[in-house]
Amino acid sequence: MLTPAGRILAFRLLVLVAGLLPAFWLAWQWWHGDLGVVPEEAVVHITGRTGLILLLTTIAFSPAFRLTGWVGIMIARRQIGLWAFAWLLAHLLAWMGLEQYWDWPWIWHDMRDLPYVRYGVAALLLLVPLALTSFRRAQQAMGHTAWHWLHRLVYVAAALGVTHVWILTRADYRLPSLAAAALAALVLFRLLDAAIHRR
Amino acid sequence: MTRYRYLAIPESEVTPREVFRQRRRLLKGGTALGAAAMLPGGMLFPKNARAWRDDLEGRLAEGLPSRDLAGDEALTPRDDATSYNNFYELGTRKSDPEVYAHQLVTDPWSLTVDGEVDTPGTLALEEVLVRETLEERIYRLRCVEAWSMVIPWIGFPLADLLKRHAPTSRARYVRFESIHDPDNLRGQRSSILDWPYREVLRIDEAMHPLTLMAVGMYGEVMPNQNGAPIRLVVPWKYGFKSIKSVVRITLTEERPTSAWMEQNPSEYGFFANVNPEVDHPRWSQARERRIGEHGKRETLMFNGYADEVAELYAGMDLQENF
Repeated sequence: MLTPAGRILAFRLLVLVAGLLPAFWLAWQWWHGDLGVVPEEAVVHITGRTGLILLLTTIAFSPAFRLTGWVGIMIARRQIGLWAFAWLLAHLLAWMGLEQYWDWPWIWHDMRDLPYVRYGVAALLLLVPLALTSFRRAQQAMGHTAWHWLHRLVYVAAALGVTHVWILTRADYRLPSLAAAALAALVLFRLLDAAIHRR
Repeated sequence: MTRYRYLAIPESEVTPREVFRQRRRLLKGGTALGAAAMLPGGMLFPKNARAWRDDLEGRLAEGLPSRDLAGDEALTPRDDATSYNNFYELGTRKSDPEVYAHQLVTDPWSLTVDGEVDTPGTLALEEVLVRETLEERIYRLRCVEAWSMVIPWIGFPLADLLKRHAPTSRARYVRFESIHDPDNLRGQRSSILDWPYREVLRIDEAMHPLTLMAVGMYGEVMPNQNGAPIRLVVPWKYGFKSIKSVVRITLTEERPTSAWMEQNPSEYGFFANVNPEVDHPRWSQARERRIGEHGKRETLMFNGYADEVAELYAGMDLQENF
């Protein structure tokens, strides 16, 4: 039998493998030419979509913990948050390499001129301090209150991400609507939860 | 005074309820009858629902003259052109049109030409095609989403068709309408566009020799996902102008609107000419991804057809008339 600490480690390893699987799957598909007619475009879309879904998932973890009380959720939260960051970083790199083909003048031009690129880059930049302070030592050094305030930036980043997708959408708004509704529901839950507990 | 007397029907002559119901079911089961009608020779109906297809396949087998109007650029592989495109009637993903191609019912097909013409009419597609001279034309296709292909279309000039119906002096615009069949076409059951799809051209654009009505590509009958059985191809405009699966062409005096103009008037104008200098409000139109190529290409003014069509827009502000 594993000790409690051993079980936590095993669970984290499980989440690590789960987080890596989509990357292996994507690499496998790329290698075998299963990503459709424009694999470059597929990689950009899949990395971005996975990153946004994981970002919304981390935001959903607190409410899910509140509702279920299952400790595994909190154990996995930091890792999922870092996975979201990693996928979104991969998304930016895929866009620069597979959409812009490392054409720096055009990368700069689009970052400057296209609102959807600006929103996406802003979201990722906001996540950088969150990723850097995600470790326990940083958390302790900052103090809990400051750390929690800083990490509320995740809501801003998610809102920018949803806006980024919304701007890019052409006619069919079903998926971006779903993402926006999910984010709105999560924010609402947090606000209600905070209001109730303050009383 | 004459009393009207009903004929008495003996009990034995009355159709049993069950048999009556079965007949009703047979009649309702139009698909079974439809399938039977598709058998070679059209054994159930005097008119063969597949007539246009049989005729066209015969003509394609004989071979057609070909003209390369894409400046020697490599053809896009056929498999790419038939599995990556937009046809929102079949779904909004690029792969949807091929996956759901079977939802488009094309046999039989008829085409209506009406409005400001001396001889309006609705003809079976085989009757339309028998009058026209077919040829292959290799054109660039530039999508508004900044990707492009080079496609060998098979078709005939729209001008030939319009002239047969004798446009009146009041005919200033041409309005095209696609099939409307929400029972079969999954995309038409959601309101992403105001169905049916409609497109518009000015009469001089419609009569231009480059403007094609296409019924095939890559030497074969038009695949459903690419707009079978008959579609418009206007090579100097963004792809969405080249309306698929056309059922009706109406000549008008007033300027009509298109489905995309109605959906988003600030992004989709009447002309939608390919123009690297006029960006889509949300993305750049200066470059394009040629499907099958690595890297990006510079987008050409009027998609490379400026010599042929620029004069149509002489003196116009293309920034304003996008």
